[in-house]
Amino acid sequence: MRCECAVPTLRELQRRFAAAVFADDHGPVSADVRACGIDGRARLGIYRRQLQAAFARTLALEFPVIERLVGGEYFQQLAREFQAVHPSRSGNLHHIGAPFAAFLRQRFSGGPYDYFAHVAELEWAIDECSIAPAAPAFDLHALRSVDPAHYADLHFEFHPACRLISSRYPLLDIWRANQSGCTADKIIDLASGATRVLVQRSGEAIVFHALSAPEFAFLEKVSQDCSLGAALETAHGIDAAFDLGPALRRCVALHAVTAAKLPQISSHDAA
Amino acid sequence: MRTAAHCSGIGLRPQHHAEFLERLPALGWVEVHSENFFARGGMQRDVLAHVCAQYPLSLHGVGLSIGSTDPLDRTHLAELARLERDFNPILVSEHLAWGSVDGRYMNDLLPLPYTTEALRHMAVRVGAVQDSLGRQILIENVSSYLQFNGSEMSEWEFLAALAAESGCAILLDVNNLYVNAVNHGFDPCEYLNSIPPRAVQEIHLAGHSVERLGTHELLVDTHAAPVCSAVWELYGAALERFGPVHTLIEWDAELPALDVLLTEARKIEHALRVCRADAA
Repeated sequence: MRCECAVPTLRELQRRFAAAVFADDHGPVSADVRACGIDGRARLGIYRRQLQAAFARTLALEFPVIERLVGGEYFQQLAREFQAVHPSRSGNLHHIGAPFAAFLRQRFSGGPYDYFAHVAELEWAIDECSIAPAAPAFDLHALRSVDPAHYADLHFEFHPACRLISSRYPLLDIWRANQSGCTADKIIDLASGATRVLVQRSGEAIVFHALSAPEFAFLEKVSQDCSLGAALETAHGIDAAFDLGPALRRCVALHAVTAAKLPQISSHDAA
Repeated sequence: MRTAAHCSGIGLRPQHHAEFLERLPALGWVEVHSENFFARGGMQRDVLAHVCAQYPLSLHGVGLSIGSTDPLDRTHLAELARLERDFNPILVSEHLAWGSVDGRYMNDLLPLPYTTEALRHMAVRVGAVQDSLGRQILIENVSSYLQFNGSEMSEWEFLAALAAESGCAILLDVNNLYVNAVNHGFDPCEYLNSIPPRAVQEIHLAGHSVERLGTHELLVDTHAAPVCSAVWELYGAALERFGPVHTLIEWDAELPALDVLLTEARKIEHALRVCRADAA
C-alpha cells in the first residue's frame, strides 16, 4: 500500500531521518513513516535511544575513569551533550573520544571539576597507545655514522605507542584509585603534585614513566619533530645543568624513539 | 584461502578472547566485527592473528554505511581491504542499511526505503565495494522498527534484486527476518521462498527483546538473549530451502559465558547434520 504524498529522494529521506534521531525533530520525517498502530515518533525513538546508547557505551569504554568519577547516570548525560556537539564522523566508533578532553575542559574549566579534562587526556593517551602500531627500538650505535658536528640537527621519530602527558593535578593517583576492582576509598589532594609522564604500551600492558620537568620538555620537543639542538635548548631553559647524555640514553632505553634522521643531509640518515 | 565445510561458528567478542584462545574450542569458523581490528597495533590484532591461525575467519562489517547517499568512505574501505589482505577471510559481509548523512554517523544499521532509486544506489555501491576488495561480499538483511511510505517493493524483493544486480551473496539473518515479520506483519516463509537458494552463503542466528510502545509491542534486535524457539523453527525452514549453510551465533550485549555460545553452536551443528542427512 502506497501513500499518495510526495515521495522524498533517498538523500532527503536520510536527512529527515537524521534530524529525527539526532535532534528529536520528527516533523519532516513523520509523513514518510507508516504508522501501523504505532506512532512514527515512537518508532523513531527506538533509533534515537540506540544512537545515544551506542555512543555512550563506546565513550565509557574509552573513558572508564571519567565514568567512575562522575557516576553512570551523569556520564550518560555528558555523553549526550558531547554527542550533540561532536557527533561520530566515522563508521568506526572508536574515533569518537578524540575531542572529549577538550569538551570537558570547556564544560568544567575553572571550577572544582577542572581536573576532569586532564584525566580524560590521560585516558585518551592510554587508548591511543593501546592501538598504535609496533615499531622497532632505536639503537644508539646508529649515531656512530653521524658526524658529531651534525648532532644538533638530528631529528628523532617518536614511538607511535608513546604519549606525553603533563598536568598540575596528580593524574596517576586519580587514575589508579579509579581502576575497576579498586574499592578502597582514598581521598586524593588535587594539590598534592603535578604530573609529567611518558605513557607507553609495553607488551600488552600500559606503563607510566615519571619524567622531570626538563626531561619532559626535552621529550616534548623531540615528539614534535624538533631538532635535538632545539630540544636541548628548551631543557636548558628549565635547568641549565640538564645533561644530554643521560637524557638521551634514558629516552632510548624507554623505547621512546624509533629512528634518527638528518633532514637536509640524507646520506647521514641513521636508523 | 582457507575454507570450512558448512558448519557452525560464533561471533567472537573481546570479552571472550583470552578464554577462547586458551581453549580453542571445536568450531568450524569464527566471525569478528571488521572495525574492531582496524587499529594498526595492539592486542586486538595479535588476537586475530592467533584466531586466524586456528580457524577459518569471516569479517563482518557494521560501519561502511553502504546505503548512505554520502560518498562511500574510501578510508574505511581501504582499512577493510587491508584487513582482508592481512587475514584472508573465507567471507566478508556488510549490511542492507545506511548509517550516515552529511558526514554525521549514527553508527547504526538503519533501514532503507525499498524503492527503485535505493536499489540502484545499493547495487552501485555494493559493486564498488566488491571491485575495491576484488571479491564477492555478502549483504545481510537488518531488523527494522519502521517502514517507509515510499517503498515500492517488499524487503525480500529488494534483497533478491540487489543480489541479482550487484552479484553479491546474501547473509540471511533469520532472527532479523523473524523480528521484521512480527513487527511488520508479513509471512516469513514468503520471504524465505523469494530468496534464490544459491544466493545465501551464510546465516546468522541471534536473540531479540520485546519493547512495549503504548499498547503495542515491537521486537528489538538486541543480540542479548538466546535464540528463541520460533527463530530455531524458522532456521529449520531456511535449511530446508537453502541446504547446509555456514551458520553463526551472534551475541553482543549482556554477553554470557563462552560455553553458552558453544552450546548454541552445537545446536546449529545438529541442525546442519539433520539437513545433510535429509539431502543425502
